[in-house]
Amino acid sequence: MKKAPKVNEVNEFLEIASDFEDPLEVIRESLSNAYDAGATTVEITILNRAGGSDIIIEDDGHGMNERDLESFFDLGNSRKTDSIGYKGHGTKIFYKSDRIEVTTVHDGTSYRAEMDEPWEKLNNEVLPEYELTKTDVRSGNPGTKIKITNFRSGHGFDAESLTYNKINHYLKWKTIAGSTAHYFDDDQREMEISVVLDDEIDDTQDGLVTDNRLTFPDEQLDPDDSMYPAERMCKHYPANEIAVEYDGGKTTLQIVGMVGGKAARNELPTYGRHSAQFGIWFAKDHIKVERLNEAISHDNEFIHFLFVANCQDIELSANRESIRNKASSVYKAIEEEVEYYLSKVTQDPWFKSYLETRKEAEYNRRTAKQQTSLKERRETIESDGFIPKNKAEVLIALERASSTSRGLSHTVEDYDPTADIHAILRQNGRLRNAAVFPTLTGLFENDVPLKNTDVAVCWTQGDPAILSEYERNGYYGGDLKFDVDDGGFEYENDGRQFVEVIEVSELLQGAAVPAADD
Amino acid sequence: MTENVVRNRFDFDVTARNGDARTGSLVINGTELETPNLFPVINFYAGGTDNSVYGGGIHRTLKEFMIGAERVGVEPMTEYFDASMTSVASLTDYNLNRNRYESYLDTPIKQRPLFENYNGLIFADSGGFKFLGGTDIDGSDFEVEMNQDAVYDIQEAFGSDIIVNLDHPIAPDDSHATRVEKAEMTAENIHTFLSISRGFDGAKYLTLHGYNYSMMSEFLEVITDSVPEGVLKEGFDGIALGSLVPKKDDRDALIRAVTDCREVMNEWGIGHWPLHVLGISSRAVPILAALGADSFDSSTHIHNAINGKYNESLMKRVDLDDADFSNCDCPVCSSDLLVNRMRGNAEYQKDVLGPVAMHNLVVVKDELAEIRRRIQTEDEDALIAYFEETFSHDKTMRQYAHKVVNQTLGGYF
Repeated sequence: MKKAPKVNEVNEFLEIASDFEDPLEVIRESLSNAYDAGATTVEITILNRAGGSDIIIEDDGHGMNERDLESFFDLGNSRKTDSIGYKGHGTKIFYKSDRIEVTTVHDGTSYRAEMDEPWEKLNNEVLPEYELTKTDVRSGNPGTKIKITNFRSGHGFDAESLTYNKINHYLKWKTIAGSTAHYFDDDQREMEISVVLDDEIDDTQDGLVTDNRLTFPDEQLDPDDSMYPAERMCKHYPANEIAVEYDGGKTTLQIVGMVGGKAARNELPTYGRHSAQFGIWFAKDHIKVERLNEAISHDNEFIHFLFVANCQDIELSANRESIRNKASSVYKAIEEEVEYYLSKVTQDPWFKSYLETRKEAEYNRRTAKQQTSLKERRETIESDGFIPKNKAEVLIALERASSTSRGLSHTVEDYDPTADIHAILRQNGRLRNAAVFPTLTGLFENDVPLKNTDVAVCWTQGDPAILSEYERNGYYGGDLKFDVDDGGFEYENDGRQFVEVIEVSELLQGAAVPAADD
Repeated sequence: MTENVVRNRFDFDVTARNGDARTGSLVINGTELETPNLFPVINFYAGGTDNSVYGGGIHRTLKEFMIGAERVGVEPMTEYFDASMTSVASLTDYNLNRNRYESYLDTPIKQRPLFENYNGLIFADSGGFKFLGGTDIDGSDFEVEMNQDAVYDIQEAFGSDIIVNLDHPIAPDDSHATRVEKAEMTAENIHTFLSISRGFDGAKYLTLHGYNYSMMSEFLEVITDSVPEGVLKEGFDGIALGSLVPKKDDRDALIRAVTDCREVMNEWGIGHWPLHVLGISSRAVPILAALGADSFDSSTHIHNAINGKYNESLMKRVDLDDADFSNCDCPVCSSDLLVNRMRGNAEYQKDVLGPVAMHNLVVVKDELAEIRRRIQTEDEDALIAYFEETFSHDKTMRQYAHKVVNQTLGGYF
């Protein structure tokens, strides 16, 4: 006996609608539908409501017939074939509301569909129904108006967060308003998109008007004279259509893009951080879906790029945020093709010169910064004299003291700052193992083993109270006795050990004083 | 009269240019070779028997293809042996005794009845990399002290068409002092070479060593300290760029070496000389040709065969067991006898792998013929298209191909 698996329709509607979380996805969906309906203008109005918002979308496309309206409300019953939305999931986001009204005029007939409390019903495990009425109208003036009352987001949607600025950037980044199709097809239909927000949401401007074209910032191939000469550099890489063969078929990859510095990139709409936005995008319907930044091999270089690689054989996940068919041979073939194309771009002499300009500018900035830092350091030396800040400088001071004083004979034969015994000195012909610290206390703080230490080289002894504490409490089970007059300290633990202390500041002071020969 | 002899002895004309690439005609003693071209490495001499001039494992089978011996059942494949590279050092490969050594050198290669079908150019390398490269191979087997005089005598006895001075190749980790010392020793050899080779009937190439412009420039400066520039230019006809074998897998280094070498040659007023790159393998050849190298030598076709690799194309090798011989229409793969042998049905390994080596060589030689055709169009797009077809999806090579397209063919954008 064969049995067909069953689907719980209500749960499916809930599941799919829940996949779409961001209220802006309502706009994304509507714009794609309007474009597919041949619209040349779309008006979007968003009004603030207590629990969510009213969203009204009106377009002048060819409208929907009864069958189209069924697809609009049905799940998985799209009439599209290969463009975004063919799964028939997108419009289900409208179910997250208190009411859906669709008025559409198609071919001399006006249809009106109304659905009440869709979200509440679904949550009560009831499949909401819609009322369809049909009226004959004069032909001409087709179009569709969708009104979504009190749209709810699962996580406390706040309509006030939808500023014009945010919507504009979202439109250009995530929807057909940011399409790169026009770079490939001169006949791409232009669509005027206007958005009006309730004054309670954003009253900074009367409205927003844009089109369905993402355009790159103007080219600037040469560096400028500013401190960041590559910042506004920008080069366009023209639209390129590549026929790709893969195991099982052929497809077309359309790549267009630009490389540019931060200032150039800032002229583009942004949606999030540059690092989350720029790079190499795979697209369907010329709408960006998911990035392939690995196509750029070097560290972080993808930030300089905005390339859109469109292929209609990309299949999207249900929420359209990622590519579903990554394991397919078509995806692998286009992935390889994109990597190959980008390999040419990264080897483009202009790109190399752009990176070189950045490097040179960084070098010049470092030079300028050095000048400031050096000025400060030199002033400190002039006012306070030489004070070693690290082990190497202590050794420099020691050598200087030796070279300026006839009575001293210290040379540094070997220096390893990572070892316990940092240096080997030649002192009056003999090699001696030396632990080196700016202050003597550092030797004990760093737990330097003393058995192999002949000499402690320090700029000053440091805090005598700390040394007294070591003397009082001992060091690794042994006794310490500092004897300044004898020029060192004694350590007794299974034997007696004397470590000479060379206090370099005193040697240098002594050396600096002209020898009195009278 | 003398001038005429000199002019006939050697002539190199550039016939077409495309970017930095160039095709040319190299004529030596009446034998013409189209460039860029590959000199496959051939050991003309082998073991210790009467017929051993013919012997030598896979080398033997290749020579059979070269002269069309009955055992391989094909016509002489002369077009693939229009040039060959041999080395003075190859005499050391089979522990020759003094008698054998003398009998090998008593008749020039092309005058031996065995090689009467051979009419390609013979380039005889000095073997410096073997004799002087720190290995313990020398001429002691046949009681000859290897120095410039001995090497030249052997080159001449071979009946060589192109010869080089005995050089001291450099190594990547040589210090500056070592490099200068080697250049000085090479300069001494050059001095000797030029004085003893005055009557040589063929072309003389100057060995040049260095990995970049500065090294090569300095090399020439050291040489001209002992050999005046005018003498050098008068004495030599071409450049043999050496020391690159340790860098053969570093494509950036190869590109730089050839690019810089051309620059140095231009600055020294010898840009019209042919440039031979010593010991470079097949996959890098198109890239270096595009940068202006005129000839190469390689034994990669043999080494690949020894490793059981069959060239499906210049870029792609497959295990011999996986090879589909029906996809290739070269004379080797078109012969049922030879295909049968390549499938392992032969008593000796040389008869299994020899045809594979010959097929591999055909692939590279055909590729060079294609490169020449593209250059001759003098249309940069023809060479760019070649690079696209050849390197397009080879991740290890494509960035170098892009580099060359950008450097010499105007770039993509």
